Amino acid sequence: MKTGVLGIAALLVGLALLVVGYSSVFTVGQTEQVLLVRLGEPVRVVTEPGLHFKAPFVDSVIEIDKRILDLEQASQEVIASDQKRLVVDAFARYRIKDALRFYQSVGSIQVANIQLTTLLNASLRRVLGEVTFIQVVRDEREMLMARIRDQLDKEASGYGISVVDVRIRRADLPEQNSQAIYQRMQTERQREAAEFRAQGGQKAQEIRAKADREATVIIAEANSAAERIRGQGDGERNRLFAQAYNQDPAFFAFYRSMSAYQNGLKSSDTRFLLKPDSDFFRFFGHIGGRSAASAPKP
Amino acid sequence: MPWKNQTGGPWGPGPKGPWGAGPQPTGPKPPDLEDLLRRAQERIRQLLPGGHLSGMGILLILIGAVAIWGMSGFFRVQSEELGVVLRFGKHVRTVQPGLNYHLPYPIETVLLPKALRVSTLNIGLTLVQDSARSTSTMRDVPEESLMLTGDENIVDVDFTVLWRIKPDGVGDFLFNIQNPEGTVKAVAESAMREWVGRSDIQPILTSERTKIEASVHELMQKTLDQYGAGVLIQQVQMQKVDPPAQVIDSFRDVQAARADLERLQNEAQTYANRVVPDSRGRAAQIVQNAQGYKEQAIAEAKGQSSRFLQVYQAYKEAPDVTRERIYLETMEHVLGDADKLIYDPGSSSSGGIVPYLPLSELTSRRSGSTANQPARTDGGAR
Repeated sequence: MKTGVLGIAALLVGLALLVVGYSSVFTVGQTEQVLLVRLGEPVRVVTEPGLHFKAPFVDSVIEIDKRILDLEQASQEVIASDQKRLVVDAFARYRIKDALRFYQSVGSIQVANIQLTTLLNASLRRVLGEVTFIQVVRDEREMLMARIRDQLDKEASGYGISVVDVRIRRADLPEQNSQAIYQRMQTERQREAAEFRAQGGQKAQEIRAKADREATVIIAEANSAAERIRGQGDGERNRLFAQAYNQDPAFFAFYRSMSAYQNGLKSSDTRFLLKPDSDFFRFFGHIGGRSAASAPKP
Repeated sequence: MPWKNQTGGPWGPGPKGPWGAGPQPTGPKPPDLEDLLRRAQERIRQLLPGGHLSGMGILLILIGAVAIWGMSGFFRVQSEELGVVLRFGKHVRTVQPGLNYHLPYPIETVLLPKALRVSTLNIGLTLVQDSARSTSTMRDVPEESLMLTGDENIVDVDFTVLWRIKPDGVGDFLFNIQNPEGTVKAVAESAMREWVGRSDIQPILTSERTKIEASVHELMQKTLDQYGAGVLIQQVQMQKVDPPAQVIDSFRDVQAARADLERLQNEAQTYANRVVPDSRGRAAQIVQNAQGYKEQAIAEAKGQSSRFLQVYQAYKEAPDVTRERIYLETMEHVLGDADKLIYDPGSSSSGGIVPYLPLSELTSRRSGSTANQPARTDGGAR
């Protein structure tokens, strides 16, 4: 009987110890930090992961994420300083730096996201409204993102939040402007295509004309060379004749005349009206010849 | 901790200390444990000879439970995984694939991310599974892929990012960032758009793809490192880079126009290649003709000169006779075939004749080109 009471007492004490022991430890995960609150009053923040001790029953544990958190923003229209409309969507990455302040000011990540989205939108509009469209798209995107991040970081530090990064994901034109761009792109291409075709025609003509010119020049040069060669031939011919005929010009005249008669009068329908007193008829009426001594003259 | 007291109690610190602190990847071997238990049982029997059977039973049950609990710490890490061991939520070690041991729950737990696998992230297109044909096709996602270029044009860019967890960054990957996959995608999109925005459309479509891939790769890695994401970007590949669907036809027409340019040029070149050699051929012909004429003229002149000189040689030997003979032979030949009319104006018998020459009749019988023959005859005969 006595041992039974003792046993029950020991069991109760053991159970009480177990409960106290269990409620005086807590774990902090690798991804979180813990805010320790004693009867509503914040005591300390534990960021080191692992097993930790607290006062049993009076201390409660509030787990707050320690990781880099997402903030995705829906796309929205922003007006740049040159009045061009831009559809921008951005995202931010932040982490909870001061768990106590975070817990006190916003309480949860959902609320923080809503607050931060508002701040991010305002900051985007403010920063992008100061610059031109082309600066956003082309020239200064990196610098603008850094500015937005710094502004947002400054404003969010009141919530115990540190903004790691803000990046503009899309910076596009609204749909109706996109259509205008497509049309412009189309007309630009048409112009380009027409230019290429015209260039093709031009180059083709140039090539043809050049070829024609070359051909003409080649023929002309050939003709010129041909005339020179013919001239050489004629010259040589004359020289040869002169050399030969100069040996006796009188005989040449006679000989050549004879040859010319033969060639020039040889056709059968040539008619001659002859006087009988020509040299040919020297013996026609005179057996001794009319003037045998005199040489016949052509 | 009650369990700690129990294990440490009657047996003192065990020879192997399997439940002590310390991250030994290899725990106690099961045979050792059983051996130990057996010996413990024997010792209990010795200590309590004929003791309460119920007390012994509870003890035995407790010991068995502890043994099973201790064994629950073994775990396998697959070849593409890494084992991340957490002690009370704190990352204490990372183990390689194979059989490993961690202290049993709730002291240590293990996470098994597929940390050695390369992930593929497609942007601008999604993989659509066709279950009927068990194939997959890529479908375009225009809202992701249409991007504004620096010269206010729009291009349609699809790209793929290959990434994996850094070899020493598995802890960062798991614990540092809330949404690592989503972050990789967001960073990829913003980096690509940033670089496309910095460039003009023509280089993006043609020559600068590799440069943009490298720039996006670098920017992504830099950004993710800044987040401490523990992600290694292996490759950024641009898949399709096209003008948007609405204007692609006019871009194709530009290509066609370029081809037309080439074609026209080639056609003209073909013409040139034909015409110039043609004219060279004709030129050669002209020159050769002239050369022929020249040689012919010279040859003829030589022949005629030579003939004349031959005759002249003969003539020199007997000038008068030769001269006479040539004359007569020529006249004979000339007059032989021709019509002849001998008329002597000096003779008395013909004194009353009026010479009448019917020129019209004569010319009507022959061609006009030789109509002047009779007139010449008169001069030629004397």
